Amino acid sequence: MEARPSFQEYEVPSEEDSTVLEALYLVKNRVDHGIAFRASCRMSSCGSCGMKINGRPRLACETRVSELRGGAITLQPMDNFLIVRDLVVDLEPFFSRHAALMPGLERKDTVEQEGPTGEYLMTQGQLDSLVQFTYCIKCGLCSSACPTGATDSKFPGPQALAQEYRYLEDPRDEGAEKRLDLVDKDHGVWRCHFAGTCSAVCPKGVDPALGIQLLKRHVMAGKRQRKEGSKVFPNPNKALV
Amino acid sequence: MRESTLMRLQYATALLALVLVAVHLLMQGVLVPYKEALLFQRVLAVYRSAVDASLLELLLVVVLAHGFNGLRIILLEWRQGAAWTRSVNWGTLGMTLAMIAYGTRTVVLATTGAVG
Repeated sequence: MEARPSFQEYEVPSEEDSTVLEALYLVKNRVDHGIAFRASCRMSSCGSCGMKINGRPRLACETRVSELRGGAITLQPMDNFLIVRDLVVDLEPFFSRHAALMPGLERKDTVEQEGPTGEYLMTQGQLDSLVQFTYCIKCGLCSSACPTGATDSKFPGPQALAQEYRYLEDPRDEGAEKRLDLVDKDHGVWRCHFAGTCSAVCPKGVDPALGIQLLKRHVMAGKRQRKEGSKVFPNPNKALV
Repeated sequence: MRESTLMRLQYATALLALVLVAVHLLMQGVLVPYKEALLFQRVLAVYRSAVDASLLELLLVVVLAHGFNGLRIILLEWRQGAAWTRSVNWGTLGMTLAMIAYGTRTVVLATTGAVG
């Protein structure tokens, strides 16, 4: 193991449409088989290939070599994560923080949950208020860019907080009180100082900074939060079955 | 105390401090010439006016509460841990109260005529 991280230089050919991920695969297949990086879908869906490209957190699969303009491209592992090896970072704390904020619908009608008889409906307006946050692919780029996350290891981070807002805003959810308690803490939602870097680097166009600000508004509203989730409506498709 | 309550306090004191500092600067640097405003007897006269002394006391409390809560936030983001959090929370509360007490002592002494 190296005492201090260092850069290794590789030279590979690239075409106009080549992505940084393709260049990395060229390095791995032809030059250095030992180089380590994470990747899977190659189409910005899985969020595996997050890394710092020329100093900015990006997905390697959607960053073209030609758009970076200039000779050498500098690749580094994402900030605010422990490095496992080369460009691979330990995402376990990131997913743990996400899981700790109840990323799923909380319902009291357990009987309906066990044997669904219908659907929970929501209006287009209700969907519009949260739909952008459902596009999150959990790549970790927002948390990597967050200045608070750089110093506060207990800060849930923009990804987890934006998801918390997504479920709080969902009319089908009934866990508002628990959710608010989880983020209204010393190292909770208030430690966000609205730098906005999370939104600037999100590869899916999600605006976590907005989610966090709206989450703060929910916390301020406190007891005025909705207690009951939307009712069950009979599934109209059942008649066709 | 919940963090949201402390943040409400932080926002409220920020707004109040803005108004009070503006009033203070207006009284000390605009309505009265700056050199004159700092003369010993003139300063004492300010303290002996109930309205002015109350404004100064309010400014003292508001600025200290805002400043030390801000310091608390910075320290909590600097390091983490249960013991550290507890020390920072109680430490900044203690310093806020101590400084308010010390500042209030000055206001009271000047207002009651124990000075000058």
